[in-house]
Amino acid sequence: MYHLNGLRWTLGIFTALFLVFLYGPFVVMTILSFQQGPEGGPQFPIIEWSTFWYQHVLSIAEPSRVAPLPIGEALIRSLTLAFATMVVSTLLGTLSAQAFRQNFKGSGVVFYLIVLGMMVPGVLLGLGMALVADQFDIARTWWGTAFVLHVVYTFPFSFLVMLAIFNRFDKSLEEASWMLGVDPVKTFRKITFPMIFPGVLSSMLFAFTLSYDEFPRTLFTGGSEATMPIAIYGTFAVEIHPNLFAFGVLTTLASFALLTIYGVLMALSVRRAKIQSSGLQEEIA
Amino acid sequence: MSEFDLELVRLSKTYPGGAVAVREFDLQVKQGEFVSFVGPSGCGKTTTLRMIAGLESVTSGHIKIRGEDVTTVPTEKRPTSTIFQNYAIFPHMTVSQNIEFGLKVRNLATNVIDRKVGEILEKLDLSEVASAKEESLSGGQKQRLALARSLVIEPEILLLDEPLGALDANLRKSIQEELKLLQRSLNITFVFVTHAQSEALSLSDRVVVMNAGAVEQISEPLELYTRPQTPFTARFIGSNLIFPGKLQSTAEGNASVHTSTGQFEGIPVFEAGTLSKGADASVVVPSEFVDVTVSSDRQETSSPIGLEGTLIDIDFVGRDAHLSIALKDETPLRLQSDATVMKSRNLVPGEAVDLRWQTNRATVVSGHT
Repeated sequence: MYHLNGLRWTLGIFTALFLVFLYGPFVVMTILSFQQGPEGGPQFPIIEWSTFWYQHVLSIAEPSRVAPLPIGEALIRSLTLAFATMVVSTLLGTLSAQAFRQNFKGSGVVFYLIVLGMMVPGVLLGLGMALVADQFDIARTWWGTAFVLHVVYTFPFSFLVMLAIFNRFDKSLEEASWMLGVDPVKTFRKITFPMIFPGVLSSMLFAFTLSYDEFPRTLFTGGSEATMPIAIYGTFAVEIHPNLFAFGVLTTLASFALLTIYGVLMALSVRRAKIQSSGLQEEIA
Repeated sequence: MSEFDLELVRLSKTYPGGAVAVREFDLQVKQGEFVSFVGPSGCGKTTTLRMIAGLESVTSGHIKIRGEDVTTVPTEKRPTSTIFQNYAIFPHMTVSQNIEFGLKVRNLATNVIDRKVGEILEKLDLSEVASAKEESLSGGQKQRLALARSLVIEPEILLLDEPLGALDANLRKSIQEELKLLQRSLNITFVFVTHAQSEALSLSDRVVVMNAGAVEQISEPLELYTRPQTPFTARFIGSNLIFPGKLQSTAEGNASVHTSTGQFEGIPVFEAGTLSKGADASVVVPSEFVDVTVSSDRQETSSPIGLEGTLIDIDFVGRDAHLSIALKDETPLRLQSDATVMKSRNLVPGEAVDLRWQTNRATVVSGHT
């Protein structure tokens, strides 16, 4: 019993530390984002609580010596890039995982080749891509060279997610559909896809978030038009103001809002299914 | 048009690694026949069924349905329908949607689809759960839904892959009967795969016994039971006493076989062509034809004794008595017999017993294994 208690305490402390490291930076950032402005800097103590930096991010603050964050276009670029990466990566991931449901010749090698995409250091890959692009006179752009690397980076994640989903997928459901006279294409649409949809959603989430805050690959291949992470990094070179923190809080909140909507939708669909079946049982009784 | 609904012509399947799953399978099934494939797991029965369904590629040989060669026709274009072991109910669809699914791709008018779905729901007693999903269905309901879904598209042949495997014993029994009645009333050809011989014997018009990818015997259930043609069938079907030995002579359809437990004379031969003098052969005696009596009760008028031995143990399992006997040469023997009869014999373990049967109930098969 004593040993068990000791283990429990160790695990408890470990978990607590994990949570502190996970959320600590965000908490500090949140507190500092309410620093007085425009004189207050990104450090403690808080001179006076204010929402000045939020107003500054949203460009509704009084003009001051602090330049507004160059985020408008960068944000749109990043969102567009993340969205495109998400679609392409999930599509490729689903298709290649589908291919891996049967053992084909050389499938082992191909598997490792795909997974390599997330193993290779981003800086090296970015640099390599930049060199190749220059060699062949290809312009480096966020929607061209950087986009390709984003897909290369996120595709293995999508692939692995879909592979796990297909591993649990009962093949006889597809076979049942075929034997009812439904061709493979329609079977995929009507049977396979609805069943793997949660996996597709996870894959999309993965690809989107990975691409959205991708830095090293984009740095070398994104060209002159910066994406969000590059733009933020750019502001570090001058002077850091709490407006950055305010922006960080806002985007994090936006992400949480999205996740909450996703969670609520999932919970609702699960509950609907349950109500349907329990309501039916009452009908029978 | 062929006189057969289903024909398998030297159907074979070899896996890429070289493992042979099915070897030279020949079969003809008449319209409306109920045929079962039985055998131990890995004998190729399910692989054969899947080849007929088009879910498994054929290495060589042909599959013909109503005379038409469908060997390379994809699953969705074959006039067959399959009941899977796990039923493969579409979990995101209701009972009616599951049934409609196969009809919707057939360009039928909505009112025709609705009528057909209604009829089959009624027929298989699923109307009350029409809007339920798989998770709230009982085992029996899932089974009936799988049947309904397959039957509503009016297949020429229904393939059933161990469809009763997941049900408990009582439900199994009642569904077996339903299945048989359904098959009779619809007059559809059924090909049924099972590892349970009792299921195959009670349901089918003909049974195909398979072992290690090859067909051992194709017979009507009773014949399979009383006249096994191979040692494997003798071991697999029913409860038989098997005595391996050498064939000494066959005269006038009666064989004489020498075995380590003794000489057997006058055994009827049914597959004379496969037997030759001096070759390995086994004597098979169905155990329900064997009578066991206490040796000390032996009387002058008693019929000739088949074998003598010592009773080791006797167990009563419901209507059956399981006897364990050691023959004079110490060969152990397991025997299944009628419990009421055996009770009346007052058998006590340790006592000497006589085994008797009518000679013409025994049969001789070629080979030992």
